[in-house]
Amino acid sequence: MCDQCGCHTPVDGNPAKETKETVTLTVKESLLAANDEQAAINRRHAESQGTVVINLISGPGAGKTTLLEKTIDILDKELKIGVLEGDIETERDAERIRSHGIPVVALTTGGACHLDAPLVYRGLQQLDDLTGKDALDIIFIENVGNLVCPATFALGEHFRVVLLSVPEGSDKPAKYPRAFLTSQIFLVTKKDLLPHFDFSLEEVKSDALGINPSLQILPLSAASGEGVHDWIHWLREIVKDRQPSVVAGESLYR
Amino acid sequence: MHELSLAQNLIEQLVRLAAEQHAGRVVKARVRIGPLAGVVVDSFGFGFDAVKSMFAVTCETVLELDCPSAGYRCLVCGREDDQRKPADAPCPDCGEKGKQFPVGDDELILLQVELEGEDGDKIAG
Repeated sequence: MCDQCGCHTPVDGNPAKETKETVTLTVKESLLAANDEQAAINRRHAESQGTVVINLISGPGAGKTTLLEKTIDILDKELKIGVLEGDIETERDAERIRSHGIPVVALTTGGACHLDAPLVYRGLQQLDDLTGKDALDIIFIENVGNLVCPATFALGEHFRVVLLSVPEGSDKPAKYPRAFLTSQIFLVTKKDLLPHFDFSLEEVKSDALGINPSLQILPLSAASGEGVHDWIHWLREIVKDRQPSVVAGESLYR
Repeated sequence: MHELSLAQNLIEQLVRLAAEQHAGRVVKARVRIGPLAGVVVDSFGFGFDAVKSMFAVTCETVLELDCPSAGYRCLVCGREDDQRKPADAPCPDCGEKGKQFPVGDDELILLQVELEGEDGDKIAG
């Protein structure tokens, strides 16, 4: 019985069960359905302009912003790049990217630990306003620094890239498998620090491939430049290949 | 931490379903959380209870969770087990240690709802 007001309501909270009819419906709809629908709209929006969207996921401090700065400096003469910069607070990272002279929209989540597709849609529209009719080749979405939650939310990206820096430790793919499971590219960043940390490239590779056998793994250092060429090469290739495979490809994500 | 967002999504789904079916109340919702969905089951239940009182149709909804456990596969030889072995226990087949990885699906699905009509009305569906 209800122990709050003495109304004799059974504890399952159904005061009139015997007089009201109930119907059981089979639904089978993902809890992420609304987000996934918006993500599909985001992707089609980008595809209508021939833009490849890349979602960057990592823990805080893995070097997403630094790698983006390096990437922009190398590619901005040949490709039109835009960035959606996700952070819980401040526009610091957005300012860093903006200083490289490319269009940036800050997506400040105000507490939320991940970006979701509706927020990214607003960001894409603001990016359109900044670029006018000049369509972008690549939009990078720098997700909130968090190796856990962002892995659950599709944003409309064509490719998901997970970054893990050497100081974080090579045990992370085993401990945070979902980000590695749902990504296509895995960048081991701050490779120049390998001599100073107990980090096994072999372990990180075998663990990540154990979780996701098709994951492409590229170790690099934005500071020393080592390995950056492979990343840039990959970016050039996906931009080159986007007609029709990327632009048409619903299936390229996951 | 994203469990609260997911619980909010579920509540919105339930409110919409109840409106579509002209139901006065959602009695029960059954949700499946796959072992690799990346969802902390307790946090999700906590989030659901926190959010459900925002709507009259869901404020008494009972959440039933279907949470199958993961299997564990040896990365080296592919042997699969139901239980995770301690990190220092060798694989019975190949002898490797600490190479077990969880396997399973990442589904996060509203399977079924039980709806109650308004004032005893029969629900279409």
